[in-house]
This record gives sequence, structure tokens and C-alpha cells, in this order.
Amino acid sequence: MRILVIGAGQVGTTIVEALHADHSLVVVDTDPDRLGVLAYRYDIMTLEGNGASRRVLREAGIVDCDLVIACTSRDEVNIVCGILAEKLAPKARTIVRTRNVEYLEVWLERQLDVDFVVSSELETANAIARVIGLPAARQTEVFAEGQVLMVEFDVAPGMSVGETVGRELREAVIPPDSKVASIIRGGRVLVPRGDASIQPGDRVIVICSPDAARAWGHILSGGRSRAADVVVFGGGATGVAVAGVLLEQGARVRLVESDADRARVVAEELPGVRVFHATGLEADFIERERIGGAEAAIFTMRSDERNLYAATLLKLRGVRFTIAIVDDPASVEVFERAGVDVAVNPRIVTAEEIVRFAHDPRIRQLSMVEGDRFEILDIVVRADSELLGKPFRDLPMTGSLIGAIIRGEQAIFPHGEDMLQPGDRAIIFTESARMHQVERVL
Amino acid sequence: MPGTAGRRVRLGVDVGGSLNLVGRLVKYLSVAFLFPVAVGLGYGDPVWPFLAASAITLAFGLALERATSGGETIGVREGFLVVTLTWGLAALAASIPYMLDEAQLANPLDAYFEAMSGMTTTGASVLVDIPAVDRAMLLWRALTQWLGGMGIIVLGLAVLPRLRVGGRQLLESELPGPEYEPLATSIRETARRLWLLYIGLTALLFLVLCALGWTGVDELMSPYQAIAHAFTTLPTGGFSPQTRSVEPFAGATQWVLTAFMALAGTNFALQYRALRRRGRPLHDEELRLYVAFLLIGTLLLFLELLRADVFQAGEAAVRHAAFQAVSIMTTTGYASADFAQWTGLATFALVALMLIGGSAGSTGGSVKVVRHLLIGKLLLRELDQTVHREAVVPVRLNGRVVEERTLRAILAFGVIYVGLFIVGAFVLAIEGARAGLELTPFEAIAASAATLGNVGPALGFAGPMGSFEPFSPLAKGVMILLMWAGRLEIIPLAVLFTRRYWRA
Repeated sequence: MRILVIGAGQVGTTIVEALHADHSLVVVDTDPDRLGVLAYRYDIMTLEGNGASRRVLREAGIVDCDLVIACTSRDEVNIVCGILAEKLAPKARTIVRTRNVEYLEVWLERQLDVDFVVSSELETANAIARVIGLPAARQTEVFAEGQVLMVEFDVAPGMSVGETVGRELREAVIPPDSKVASIIRGGRVLVPRGDASIQPGDRVIVICSPDAARAWGHILSGGRSRAADVVVFGGGATGVAVAGVLLEQGARVRLVESDADRARVVAEELPGVRVFHATGLEADFIERERIGGAEAAIFTMRSDERNLYAATLLKLRGVRFTIAIVDDPASVEVFERAGVDVAVNPRIVTAEEIVRFAHDPRIRQLSMVEGDRFEILDIVVRADSELLGKPFRDLPMTGSLIGAIIRGEQAIFPHGEDMLQPGDRAIIFTESARMHQVERVL
Repeated sequence: MPGTAGRRVRLGVDVGGSLNLVGRLVKYLSVAFLFPVAVGLGYGDPVWPFLAASAITLAFGLALERATSGGETIGVREGFLVVTLTWGLAALAASIPYMLDEAQLANPLDAYFEAMSGMTTTGASVLVDIPAVDRAMLLWRALTQWLGGMGIIVLGLAVLPRLRVGGRQLLESELPGPEYEPLATSIRETARRLWLLYIGLTALLFLVLCALGWTGVDELMSPYQAIAHAFTTLPTGGFSPQTRSVEPFAGATQWVLTAFMALAGTNFALQYRALRRRGRPLHDEELRLYVAFLLIGTLLLFLELLRADVFQAGEAAVRHAAFQAVSIMTTTGYASADFAQWTGLATFALVALMLIGGSAGSTGGSVKVVRHLLIGKLLLRELDQTVHREAVVPVRLNGRVVEERTLRAILAFGVIYVGLFIVGAFVLAIEGARAGLELTPFEAIAASAATLGNVGPALGFAGPMGSFEPFSPLAKGVMILLMWAGRLEIIPLAVLFTRRYWRA
């Protein structure tokens, strides 16, 4: 595969490292020094220039590329690059990195025409949520004005088998208004027939209502999520994303920020998070706010040194689990040696996510894969469809599944006795090979 | 001017430009007199006082405009002066017909009191014998309330040409409530929409009342009564052309008026959005608290009326309790019964309701529900932060963060309001004793709350069936100031008394 990478920072470097052996890479950056380092270490082509420039992109041979990865540290450059790539190389898939979660939302609502958007902050937050044991729900697609979601869940590897996990689907307890669309196990995609089951370590794709998505989150967290009491140190973009994700999972989140103005901004942005204006290291504050009683503390301050000191101090004060964000890749080892439970490098996490997509997009983002194995179809049922008037339980179980129906303005998650009516909008999860067949019968 | 430089301090306010704008606004007020002229012609009442008032107002406005140069520098500062002066002069203009042709109001102070009470939608009257007043004059009295309700400057912004200088500032000073809530991109359009809604609701009430009259449900409700009450209900004014307020009307009429008073006390911007089906108006925090206050007030009055055997249990007791709670809290001031005769506990509840007021952006006066709501939230935050000193807790209203500056202004408003209320009560009580009036301290408190809150009737001789006429000239002057300050929400008037306002 021919891959164009825009940006040779830490994310770009990690991507090059992972992909250079199997693919031919072109790397674009404005800084010749960074390019020089890469060019001497790996067998790649480099080009100095602005990734948001059409001339530079053409010069880099974008027309022949199969994949374009825009991963500079500047959102606007990445987005312009992504938009240009969609036009200049319609066949290439495009991945855009963003630091602003809002762009991710824009993309999820299909108002940004690129194949994949990765938010460093959100990926980091999800990684941390997984580490703490809360299920990281990744909202991958929104249908029917938000009434229908397609959500991916990671089932924790150590999850104990219960009423839902580890039981055959026909007997398992499944939240109402939801359908299991797919189970991914070890890189293989399973059709969720009645005899299939969700196992610890799987990734599950569910088509469901927003309420059901929360119920799934609750089940896959083992019901533990409510009890979680987390303190986040640092109210930067990463801290806010972490707090936001944890809050969504039902955790009680407190956030400590040392800058008064920034603390105010964070408090305004996250109504559910308790924000404190403090360094968080004063003995009096820690004592008074019972910070030591928190189940986990997450350190997202700007400097590795501060994070390390704070994590060590809080560990001494009784916090059970400490997670730190590190800036310098070398810090990971230092932190872990010092007794910090987990050290996360956001740029590495981001790069890993991008690489995962580059390797096998199907596993990561099913609906985004065009011309690959699976498709999400959003079809209006014709008046002469042969499936009309048949209860769902009598429809043949094949590689495709009707996840939801939108009738009028209302989303319906069909059960065995429901029937299709003409004019219904059906959200269908199907193997690509069967796509035409599905379109024909409907 | 080297000779005088040592003595004269340079003014930081463009007085000439402000007066010019005031003149321009007042000039257009002469048009309003045409309505009582038309009514007078129809009923055969004398029309010359209105024509004379119209001519005087026009001449005065034009002269003021000519005498000053209209700069384009009407800014934030000048706005306070313009709004305050315009209201003072508008009341003066409104008092001209009273002085010219109404024996009971021949005293200029009485006439000005009645006019100020009208423009500020207070509804306190110094008339003793209302039936003696002719109908054109009574409708003029009602019309002043209607004009003052949504605001004469808002009206000016909506319909007059070339008034856009400093429009935002003028609108903010005049519209009740702590924050201006735009309904459209331009101020002019916002003002228009507010007035259209206001006119629409007035027309609706007029038709409903007429229908009650025509169908014989209420024999007393003639089109004349209907229009007089429509004109004084929606501005939460309370001038009724009846001697005993709305007591003689049928129960159905009183219920209709209750509903429309409650409507007049809710935020008009919210009503507009509800009509346009925008947002979720029923989830508005202020609206919910407003309704809760009304229900609690009704319940308390109902229980007390039953306990004290003022009414028998039944529809009448509920109706009078609801009517009086709504009328007093929205600062309308109608009475369905002589509440001045009710028990001490009931009148105490009514005075408490006077201090609550309507919603922000409504025509109701007093403190306003949203300020109570935000002050409550502020106090809760203060309690929270005494325990958790480092906690950063933004105060939210309907999910949106309220700026600290706004919160401070609301707190300051609350303190000034209470201060003015107490000072007013003291002055009225002392002055009442000096003049040998039959005025208990509690009645002085009620009179202060009723005028500052633009409610209208107080207790004792100034009760709903009584008159403010016995008050001494000084007391009337104080109450004129209270009404004026209350309608403009104190600050625009109060800043004029600070030295920093006038300094360059």
C-alpha cells in the first residue's frame, strides 16, 4: 500500500515505525530536521512543505496513494489536508487526527467528509477508561437524528461470565431496544446467531437506542461503574476529555486545576464534574477533600515531572490506583519504575489507533469500510418488497441484520412479531457480498 | 475657557445629546392622546384637554429637540439619563389632561402621582370618586398603563425611525430583568416582536371579555369595560374604572383575568418562543419557580381565608385566593375582594408576595422571580464553598452559565431594593405620624412595597377599595420616586445620583 503521512511529530514517527516495513511511505512536514531524522532511520520518501497545500500534496504523489494520514499537531491543517485528499485522490482512504473532540462529533454526524477521525484526547480518555475497568464505548455511528446508535464496546478480558457475557445470545439478557450486530474475536468477525456468545476480551458492535447504550455500558462494566470515584489532576484538553468520558460512564469525577481562569472554563464546560482551583498537592486540601479515598487518580498536567511527583504523593496519601499521562516516550519506564500504576502516552495511543485502522480497517470501524466486508445500509423499504408483512422471526437468518426501523419519526428496534411496512427506513448491518441482495429484496 | 476652567468640572455625559433624544421620544408621545380624543368624540366627553395635552407635548418635544444638538454619541452612559428622563417627562405629559379637566386631580402633585402610577403600571390611585370621572379620562388612565407596560422606549425602538443609537442600552434599562434576551438579530426587530405579542394578547383578552359580556355570563362586562381591563391587565397595571376594582364582575371574568395576569407576569420572550415552538419553554427554571410561587401563595391564602372564616370552602374561596395571589405577585393590583379587610396573616402573605414580583422580561414589576432564583443559587454556592474552599462552582440558569458580573449586579440590586423599600417604609410611617394619618407601621411597609414594586393598592386607607389621596404631599412625592425607581429597576435612576456618573 502507498501511504502518505502528513506530520512527522511523535504521532507521525510512531506510525512510520509501525508501517514502514510493509508499505511504501511518503512523509510530509514543514520541519526539515524532523524529516531528516526519519529519512535516515527508515526507508521512506520525505518532502518538506505544508500539508494543507494542494501543490505540496500533488508533489507528494497523493493521486496514487491508498491511504492518507493527516497527523500534524494542528487540527485545521489536518482537516484541510483531509478534505483536499478526498477530492484529489477519491479512491484513497483518509484519516484525520484532531485534538478537538468537536471535530470528531462533526465527523460522526457525517458533516466532515473523511474516512476516519482520531482524537488524541478522546483516544487517551478511552484508554484510561479501559484501564480503570469502565467499558469504553466508542460511538461510531449516529442514525435518525440520534435515535439510533451503533456502538462498539470492548469487553474487558478479565470480565466475569454472567447473564449476558458468556451465555448463548438466545438466552442472554440483552437490554431492550438493542441488537447485537457483530462480535469481533481475535480479528475475526462473527455473525451473532442465537448460538453465538459474547466472551471476555471480545469487541461487540451493538445497534441500539441511546438508553440501551447506557444499559450495555452498565452491563459490560459489571455494574461497577457507579461506585468509581476518580480525581483528575490538570484541566487541559486531555484532562477535560478524560473527565468527560469517565463522567459519561457514570463515575463520580473530581478535577483539580491550578489556574483559576482555566478551572472556571472547565467547570463551565463540564457541569457534572466537581472542579477545584488548587494545585492539589497541599496536605490540607488533600485531607479536607478526602482525595486519598479516591479509587483512582489520573494525572494529566503538562509536565512529566509534576505528574510524577503528584502521582507519588497521592499514592502515599492512600489513592489506590494512579494513572499518568506522559509526554516524553522515555518517561513511561521512569513512571512505572517509580510505582505509578499505568503511564499513557497520548501520541502513542493515537498512533496505535491509526495504525490499527491502516492495518485492517474492518476491525476498528466497520461502517467506515467501503467496498470491504461489511456495510451499514440506511434504506427506505419499497411498497413491493417481498419482506413486507412477514414477522421478523420468520425472516431468514443470513449475514445481514435489520438493526432498527424508523417509522414516521419514531425509531423501532424490531422483535420477532414486528413486521416491515412500506415507507419504513431500515438500518441494516450486512456483509458487503450480500448488499445487492438486500437492496433487491427490500 | 481659561477663566472658568478652575471651577467647572468637565462633564463626562453628553447631556445635550441625551436631551435631544429625550425630546425626540417625548414628541411622539403626542400621538397617544389621539386615542382618548377619539373615545371622547364617541361618548360625547370633552376632548379639548387631550388636544391641548397633545399640542403641549409636541411643542415641548420639538423645542427640546431644537434647543439641543443631536450628537450621534448616545452611548452606554447617556442611556441611563435618557431612560430616566423620558419616563419622568412621559408621566408629566400624561398628567396634563388630569390637571386641565379633572377636579379631583387639579393639584399638580396629585395629577403627577396618578400619571406616574399609570406609566409605571403601578395602579395606585389618588382618585376618591371614580364614577365622577368621565370615560375618556378613565380610558386615558388605562392607556398610560398599557403604554408603560411593555415600555415606551421599547415601543419607540420598534416603530420610530432613526433611533438605533444606543438601542441596546436603552432596551436593557427599560426591560425588566437582569439580562436582555434577544428574539431577533436586531434590537428593532426584537422590540417589534415583543410589542406584537403584547398587542396580540391584549386583543385576545379584549375579545374574551367581550364574549363574556355578549353571552350574558357577565352582565356588567361592556366593550368599554373590556377594553379598559384589557389595557390594564397585560401591563400588570391594575387601574380599573370600577370603584370596587373587579369585585362586581362575575366569577368567570375573574378567572379569565387571573389567567391573563399570570400570563402577563411570565417572560414574553419565553412566550414568543413557545408560540414559535422553539426550545422547551416548560423546562424554564424561572417559569417553574414562578408557577410554584403562585401556587404556594394561592394555597396559603386559601387556607388562611378558610381558617379565619372569611369565605366558606368552595369555588369562591379558591377563586379569591388565586385571584389575589396572582394579582399581587404579578404586581397587577386588581382586587376581587377588599383584601385590606382580611386577617393579619393573609395581608402579611400578600405583602410577602409583593416582594417577589413577575418574571424577567414580563410586564410585572418588583424584584422578579429570576433574581430570587439566582440569589438562592448564590447562597447555596456560598454554603458549598465554606466547606469546599477550592471548589469552582459556576452558577447556571437553564444549563447556561451566568456570568459572575451579572450575579454581582443581581446581588447589588437585591440589596438596593430592600434598602429602598425599608427607607421608603420608614419615611412613609414617620410622615404619616407627622401628618396625623391613620397609618400603622405595617401599612406603611405595605405602601412602600406596593409603590416600589409597582403593585398598586396597599393596605388600610390605601387599600384596593380606598385611595392614596389622604397621604401628605411629601409622602406622595416619595412614592412617586419609588414608583419611578421601581419601574426602571432602580439602577438607571440610582446611578444619576453618583458623582462618578457625571465625571469625565
